[in-house]
Amino acid sequence: MTRPNPSLLVLHSLRCCGHVGVARVAKATGLTESAAESTLIDLAVDGLVTYLGRGFDVWGLTDAGRAADAERIADELESAGARTAVTAGFRRFLLLNPELLDLCAAWQLRSVDGVMTANDHGDPSYDARVLGRFADLDRRAAPVCAELAAALPRFGRYRTRLADALDRAASGALAYVTDDVASYHTVWAELHEDLLVTLGIPR
Amino acid sequence: MRWIRPIRARTEESAETLGAKAHGLVVLHRLGLPVPAGFVVTVEACRAFLRTGRLPDGLGGELATALGDLEAATGRRLGGARAPLALSVRSGASVSMPGMMNTILNLGLTAEASAGLAAETGDPRFALNSRLRFLSTFASAIIGTDVEPGEALERKPRDDEARLIGAIEAVEDLLRRHGRTIPEDAGRQLELAVETVFSSWDTPRAHTYRELHDIPHDLGTAAIVQTMVYGNRDDRSGTGVAFSRDPGTGEDVPFGDVLFGRQGDDVVSGRSTTRPLRELADREPAVWTALIDALSRVEGHYRDACYVEFTFQTGELWLLQARPGRFTGAAAVRLATDLADERVITRHEALLRISPRHLHHVRTPRIAASAQADILARGVGACPGVAVGRIATTTDAAVRMAVDGPVVLVRPETSPHDMRGLAAAAGIVTARGGPASHAAVVARAMGKPAVVGVTGLTVDVASVGAGGRTVGEGTLVTIDGTSGEVALGSPAVTTDTADAHLRRLLAWADAVSGDHSERDEARRLNAAHAVLRPG
Repeated sequence: MTRPNPSLLVLHSLRCCGHVGVARVAKATGLTESAAESTLIDLAVDGLVTYLGRGFDVWGLTDAGRAADAERIADELESAGARTAVTAGFRRFLLLNPELLDLCAAWQLRSVDGVMTANDHGDPSYDARVLGRFADLDRRAAPVCAELAAALPRFGRYRTRLADALDRAASGALAYVTDDVASYHTVWAELHEDLLVTLGIPR
Repeated sequence: MRWIRPIRARTEESAETLGAKAHGLVVLHRLGLPVPAGFVVTVEACRAFLRTGRLPDGLGGELATALGDLEAATGRRLGGARAPLALSVRSGASVSMPGMMNTILNLGLTAEASAGLAAETGDPRFALNSRLRFLSTFASAIIGTDVEPGEALERKPRDDEARLIGAIEAVEDLLRRHGRTIPEDAGRQLELAVETVFSSWDTPRAHTYRELHDIPHDLGTAAIVQTMVYGNRDDRSGTGVAFSRDPGTGEDVPFGDVLFGRQGDDVVSGRSTTRPLRELADREPAVWTALIDALSRVEGHYRDACYVEFTFQTGELWLLQARPGRFTGAAAVRLATDLADERVITRHEALLRISPRHLHHVRTPRIAASAQADILARGVGACPGVAVGRIATTTDAAVRMAVDGPVVLVRPETSPHDMRGLAAAAGIVTARGGPASHAAVVARAMGKPAVVGVTGLTVDVASVGAGGRTVGEGTLVTIDGTSGEVALGSPAVTTDTADAHLRRLLAWADAVSGDHSERDEARRLNAAHAVLRPG
């Protein structure tokens, strides 16, 4: 199995994550921060990505970068002969997606006396129940990720990142469920976007 | 019959047996309101199915008998080449599990029956549109993911038949790829639809929902089978949802959405541009009058504001669901006070209907009526409250900009993918969709002010346009999720619109408790509750 080239990994991470800083590119790709940054600079020289300063400190795709990503990702999919497997994985992902959104809603809100109220996380038993359901969903998501990673190795990062978010949440870092930029929900949404882009499905 | 009950006024079983939705339909019958003819397969049949994995013995025969009765009553035949009968098959448990289970519309519209419907109505587009809806709802149910018929369902003047036929073939292809087919035998379709609705009780998603909401897994759902009424029949048809009073403020005016020339769940999905309910009064005055009468009767029955789902076919109203309105916050306070004033409920009942939780939400801010606000656009208020922030036109921009201060997310419409942006924003504005759209539901769930259905609002890459003006991303705006106003800048805001009602309610509370000392509002209410609910 060939390792995906870092340039495409970095370019594609911006396509799936939007405008993000070097640290998030590194997390998304599995590269070190210095490797990610040097790749970003090379891509900027080619006019494919651009750096937003002025206190933002994030990188984003240019129009040319978006077009180049679409082309290279399509090439990668076809040359790996992975379209059928990724399509099947995407279908299984879509079965899980509404449930994930339900769980995020249940994490953020609960009904008290018939009034939807923000979950203030003052009731550990409720939080534990919701996290238990997240863990159950995650067990069913794992084989889908494995199937995708077998077709295209770069999908393997999502498994690592999802597991990491859930571990942190379980050990008390509650922001890793829906709030943090490395939260379960954020990583999941990036996987969703990645599948759409990879298969060339318009949103 | 053991497993099936007709839906009619004399049906006596409780919601535990019939499910809440079918029980609501029985209530509508008792009130003399128009409900499409039908029957319900009971919750017990579902429990038997869940235990054994197949429909219980005898149900097949009972379905055939009930179907025969329906055919005799309507003079139509399921799957018939002439005067075909079409059915809706919907889930309905005794507890609310919104969006978790399946609905199948236009069941029985086989290729042959659709041709019959086209010949009968002289409208082949209508018949194809209805068959497409049947196939896509059935396919969604048996495959387990949404099958989007997409734009092919828009009823447009140039809604050409080739496009509909193409969409029908696409759904049939999709089913084949999944190794599934829909039987051409209409009676067998009905059995399969009931099985499918029962099976949807046990999807992993429904299982998770019950775990989160303390609902027993062995409860089961009923399956409601009714004669179709077609909101897509012609320009004098449509579908909608209505509250008897405004759920945002409690004001005694009907409130809701209507969608002309469309069928089924298009209103709830928010994918389609709904119109304010009031437009029904101009376009279909007879339907409007019948609906207002129905809302009043249902409200009288529940002694509470109510919610109904309805369809009208060629100028004739049909009710498909009814339940109490479940108002909260300022709307709940105003509703309870008004109902007591109208002598529908007593003052003691009014007090018991308001929980201290409602008081937290009662002082919802509004753009002050006297403010000289520069109104950029008006839509439908979908979640009360005022938000002030800079315009962001994408989820990414909202997340990025929120670091530096509050953001108002402005989108054509939202999908689950916008959750990060919705979470990051202080307020939400959408061009399309009504008060039950995805954006509205999420906004209310998050307690964020929202304005939806802003007609004429355009959203570009980094600017928004309305009323001939264009403003850039980053422009400061103020939105009022009660009135639906979107104003430029930050006009004056007020929080005392429900004060008069709240003051009266709390005076009743003090009269009950006999304590007239200075205390906060929740304590005054709790003291009254302690007297009214001893122990």
